[in-house]
Amino acid sequence: MLLKSMSLTNFRQFNGTQSISFSVDPEKNVTVIMGENGSGKTTLAQAFTWCLYGATDFDDQIVLNKAISQNMGSNGEAFVQVKISMVHLNVDYTMTREQKYTTDSTGNLKRPNNTVFKIQYKNADGQQDFVKESEVELRMKEILPKELAKYFFFDGERIGNMSKEIRKGKSKEFADAVKSLLGLSAFTEALEHLGGRSANTVIKSYEGDYDSKSDSKIAQLRDEISRYDARLEQIEKRLSEIDNEEYTASEKAKEYEVKIAENRDSEKFAQERAKLKSKIAGLEQSKVSSTSGVIDTFNRKGSSWMATKMIHDALKELVDADKLDTGIPDIHARTIQFLINRKKCLCGASIEFGGAAYTELNKVLDYIPPKSIGTLIGQFARECELKSRGAADAFDDISNKFSVVSGFDADYADLSNQIETINKKLEGMLNVGELQKKYTFYDGEVKKLRAERVRLVEEKGGIGTKRERCETGINELVLKDDNNRRVARFKAYATYMYKYLFSVYKEKETEVREQLEEAVNTIFKEIYNGGFSLKLDDKYNIQIQVDDFEGYSGDVETSTAQSISVIFAFIAGVIKMARENNSDENSMLMTEAYPLVMDAPLSAFDKTRIKTVCDALPKVAEQVIIFIKDTDGEIAEDNMGSKVGMRYLFDKKNEFETELIGR
Amino acid sequence: MFDKEYSFKGTHAEKVNKLTAKFDDKNQLFKRNLDVYMMAPIVGFLYQKKSDVNNGDGSQKPTKIFPQQLIENGDDLAFTYRLIMLLDKKNAASIDERVDKAFRQFNSPQAENDEKLYEQYVLGGVDILYEKLIESATSTEDYLKNLYDFMEDMDDRYNQTIDADQISALCRLAKQ
Repeated sequence: MLLKSMSLTNFRQFNGTQSISFSVDPEKNVTVIMGENGSGKTTLAQAFTWCLYGATDFDDQIVLNKAISQNMGSNGEAFVQVKISMVHLNVDYTMTREQKYTTDSTGNLKRPNNTVFKIQYKNADGQQDFVKESEVELRMKEILPKELAKYFFFDGERIGNMSKEIRKGKSKEFADAVKSLLGLSAFTEALEHLGGRSANTVIKSYEGDYDSKSDSKIAQLRDEISRYDARLEQIEKRLSEIDNEEYTASEKAKEYEVKIAENRDSEKFAQERAKLKSKIAGLEQSKVSSTSGVIDTFNRKGSSWMATKMIHDALKELVDADKLDTGIPDIHARTIQFLINRKKCLCGASIEFGGAAYTELNKVLDYIPPKSIGTLIGQFARECELKSRGAADAFDDISNKFSVVSGFDADYADLSNQIETINKKLEGMLNVGELQKKYTFYDGEVKKLRAERVRLVEEKGGIGTKRERCETGINELVLKDDNNRRVARFKAYATYMYKYLFSVYKEKETEVREQLEEAVNTIFKEIYNGGFSLKLDDKYNIQIQVDDFEGYSGDVETSTAQSISVIFAFIAGVIKMARENNSDENSMLMTEAYPLVMDAPLSAFDKTRIKTVCDALPKVAEQVIIFIKDTDGEIAEDNMGSKVGMRYLFDKKNEFETELIGR
Repeated sequence: MFDKEYSFKGTHAEKVNKLTAKFDDKNQLFKRNLDVYMMAPIVGFLYQKKSDVNNGDGSQKPTKIFPQQLIENGDDLAFTYRLIMLLDKKNAASIDERVDKAFRQFNSPQAENDEKLYEQYVLGGVDILYEKLIESATSTEDYLKNLYDFMEDMDDRYNQTIDADQISALCRLAKQ
């Protein structure tokens, strides 16, 4: 970056438009602007930061020239503008910042409008072009970040603070800015772009593009498809089974239909057989009852029946022996005894003891009561009659029953033969009832199978549709999946790049830092000769260390002169590094030389130091613009004489107006 | 008589047991020992078979008829006794004597020998019944057939010439 010129319009003391050109001659790279205190040196230095960053260190943020604001009257308006022309990375830029001021009806200044910043540049065709309004801040940051700007546009009076800042707890932005200046920004940008904290990094954007759900969805769909396929396979298998089964079942049904027609007669035979079987059962039953009937009769009447002959013979004996009617009706033993005792019979004949009549009468006693057995015999005869009558049919009864029993075998054999004959007939025939049952079964099976087929075909159709839907889903997801794979590959590349770059960057950064430390130390020792050296830590903080003071080393309190020397050394070091890198075309570090714009820095130094500073700065910086007091200026000019390309003088007209005059 | 417990002993006990045993799942020729006891004297007398009480080989246990059963059937038993007494001419030749045995001496001390005779007919009848009904039987059908054959044989021998009317006529004569 080389500053070519600056023009100020109504900026604080600078009433109207005043311009200043800076020396860009590499041999005479110093521009000296001299002025007494309060003439506008600091204002001019601040004009740089106002133009480039829209901010100043002034307490009063109104930058409009006071003389102008007082003369604006009511409802007036005025503009403040600072325009800087520069060359940066071989591109000509013109930065313009403008701010509009208005007054109200009473002539008081209203709160100013926001400043308007524009960057104009000459493009490759040599045409003037404007950086887009939205990108101007960013472009400015690329050219010179604000954090660093204060080290290039600096105010000597605030140098103490800066020294402290530089030594203690620098912000990360500062470190980044230094890195940027040192050309490490290409790395840091690349790293940031690839995998930084921002949400828009390459790696994160790939993560965003990656559809992590698609894999599981595909798996899920494939799972579903395989389930459908399994079911379809089952259905197909079942359908072909059904074809076979239905064929078999309907064949069977037909077969039984024919058989039923053929075997109608079997039903008749079967009925006949059933009758015969029941006859046999009846026969068996009657055999049983006859058997027990024979036994029963035998037990009840057997004895009497067997005694029939004896009864007959006994009765005959009794009748023949005339025993049964020997009793004389109504005569009792007492009657006979009476007749014997009076010795005279009923007929008048006398009864003599031991005589024939007497003997005859005593015989009678045996046959009349009480000695008579006539009653017993009578009773016996009645029993005989009863028993013989009761048992009369016993043998006939037993004969009949026994004929049943003995005929049983023949009857049974006959019926069995008949049944056997029917069985033989039926053997070749089939039971129609059974056939009918079977026919009904197979016919039912056929119907069931047909219904099942219809159901399965429907299900198959439904599953086919679902399966197609899954396929489509998978195809869609596979596209995403391909994308995923691509994205994953890209992300892997980006991550690899990031890691690779990071390792290279780390190495390079350390190298650069060490170089910077060395450069800073070299310059520091030129400016400030004492037993001190500077140390740069990894955050680019500077520590002043006693080189060797009786074994003591460490950070030490510094004097003002030391502080200023540190700043100079640091800035000079940075600038020097930047310059050197710039000239090395093969370096991966791309950077740009920077000017050094200083406001009254020399007051703090003694003459010797001023000489060394004046000697060192033009050598390390590509361009030096120095605002200086009259007294210092003379010393500086003495020391830098051959390097000074442009000279200006602040001509302070009054407190509100200063003019720049070339010398 | 016929008011005390009666026991078949020895071979007769064995035979009575077989005559009252079931020859198939539910039938037996004689339902009770009493039934054998009632038929046996008739058979013994008709076949003129008398047997004495024996102890067999000593292994047979007596088989009994309880007095209650005998008392209940006392009339039938007495009837058989009287028949035998009236008809057994070997025991007493004259009819008067046989009538006395059948009626006057029944159940009296004078009947002791007659009662022994009666028992001999009982045991003889058991032997006949066993021989006719059981001995030749080889199957259950045979028992019934034997029974029928036995009765048929009796019928041939004694009963064919007699009918109930003859007996009724005799009864009328006997009661006059």
